[in-house]
Amino acid sequence: MPEKPEPAPPAAEPALPPEVVALAQNGAAISMAARDADGRPVVGLGVGCRLRPDGRMRILLSEPANLRLLAAIEAGSALAVTFVSTRAFGAFQVKAGSAARCPASPDDLPELDRQVALASDGLVEIGFNRTQAAGYTAFVAGELTAIELRPERVFLQTPGPGAGTEIAR
Amino acid sequence: MSEPGIDGLRRSLEGVFAALLATCDGEGVPNVSMISQVHYVDPGRVALSYQFFNKTRRNLLATRRAAVQITDPETLAHHRLDLDYEETQTSGPIFESMKAKLAGIASYHGAQDIFRLLGADIFRVRAIEAVPGPVRPLPPDRRSLLAAARRTCEALDGLQDLEELLDGVTGALAREFGIEQSIILMAEGGGDRLYTVATHGYPSGGVGAEVLLGEGVIGVAARENTPIRIGHMTLEYRYGAAVSATARRAGLLCEEARTILFPGLSAPRSQIALPIREGGRVAGVLFAEAETVMRFGYEEEDALALVAGHLGARMALIRQEAEEAEAAAAPAPPPGEGMVTMRYFPHDQSVFLDHDYLIKGVAGAILWRLAREHLATGRTEFTTRELRLDPGLRLPAPADNLDARLVLLRKRLEERRACLRIEKSGRGRFQLLASSRLALQQAGPAEDAV
Repeated sequence: MPEKPEPAPPAAEPALPPEVVALAQNGAAISMAARDADGRPVVGLGVGCRLRPDGRMRILLSEPANLRLLAAIEAGSALAVTFVSTRAFGAFQVKAGSAARCPASPDDLPELDRQVALASDGLVEIGFNRTQAAGYTAFVAGELTAIELRPERVFLQTPGPGAGTEIAR
Repeated sequence: MSEPGIDGLRRSLEGVFAALLATCDGEGVPNVSMISQVHYVDPGRVALSYQFFNKTRRNLLATRRAAVQITDPETLAHHRLDLDYEETQTSGPIFESMKAKLAGIASYHGAQDIFRLLGADIFRVRAIEAVPGPVRPLPPDRRSLLAAARRTCEALDGLQDLEELLDGVTGALAREFGIEQSIILMAEGGGDRLYTVATHGYPSGGVGAEVLLGEGVIGVAARENTPIRIGHMTLEYRYGAAVSATARRAGLLCEEARTILFPGLSAPRSQIALPIREGGRVAGVLFAEAETVMRFGYEEEDALALVAGHLGARMALIRQEAEEAEAAAAPAPPPGEGMVTMRYFPHDQSVFLDHDYLIKGVAGAILWRLAREHLATGRTEFTTRELRLDPGLRLPAPADNLDARLVLLRKRLEERRACLRIEKSGRGRFQLLASSRLALQQAGPAEDAV
């Protein structure tokens, strides 16, 4: 976690491709993976994502629903995060060697509400009913926590022959 | 750790919500992706499809461990399964079932070659974790599918004739299962297609419509001899469409999928096709569809498989009884009024009454054979045995379902309100009744009037 404030994104830090930035912050389904102390993969589900001016990604997630993932991250696990568009099935995966856990803050909520509404609409658009869409994207504000990571590698993940291709930054 | 059982989680394995799959490589770098299929194998095992996820695949082979998160589409409960990789199967019923489902999805998008299943990765479920979160209650008025299957089978036991049996099944599916649209197709013995012999719930009867082996859920169910379901066609369509678009850009596909003329729903959201087996051989397919998403799940598949199995056994019994009764039968003659020209095209065995197309294939050849005999000798009474033994008809196999072809022929004549009727006159016997005089004309290199 950087302690001192950064005035602007440094030119040396390559920006994420614009399509990743757009997808990550506009109602994508967010899934995460880490490795626990026994060496087993653990899987988690995110609620929303905010990109910090310094290039870090801030993922909001339910704490009680992701205890194993959070424990793995706090123990120093690397992290993978996949963003899947509910509308078009475009997908990207971001990887980082580590991530930091942070508390969620009240100013996360308006943006989270916007993203969750988009995600829910996207699910309805592809055939889910409103109850399913709302249930899948539901979160309890008081149970939210956050993790922050600095993306190191980005991969195309849309299913098909091009899946797994690393995206140049 | 206690042995976990996943029977209670089968709704979450339907693929309504995509599952999340996490793996790690040998250095501990995690990977996560969404997958459309976590296939139920048995209470302690699931299978994942090995097709695209190359990084995942390499991770699995390196560490043999995976974690998946699945979601119940009704209660919206999430569960996580810790999985230990056991083996990859490239043949056998699990592989065929997954491959066929994948092929059924892909055939709607012209992406069969891209959706190729390379293997079914089998995993033992090591642990199940219920993810804390809000859960919705299930509706209390759920139908008992086991009781519905039992009542359907009992209803079929009372039917002694093939046509009654076929119509009885589709009727029972509506009555007992609330399945409003269903179709029964018979397989061409040794051929490459199936033909429709009974339909329920469609504005046009559609009897005689054909489906090629391997085409859509019906054709794949017949070819692979395994039940095929598509439960969320819009989602899977989009999934397929995304892959097809990527594949087309990569130059791997160039042709659009061909469409099949079929008496089905214009916008089905769910379809299921189950092989009707006679002695292990696919004799036909029981097909049902609905406009609602996820109409047919694992439980419906099990219940309808019982019905299809019972139907196959009843069909075999009815044919056996008919063959035994065929031994005794005799001919008799009468005439008709007016004049209709029956035209026969040997290259595809199609029959036209005046200028209206009636039928083709083996059923067409049968009608032509009956009409020639009728005109030459005045006979109206025939036996299935003589048709079976007639080398000129080239019936595909001894076990070919001749009775089903006669049902098809009879229904087509009735649908077209033709000048000819076929009526059953006893076990293994039937009558050809003409309300007009017939003139026969065989098309060919030199048109041949009879």
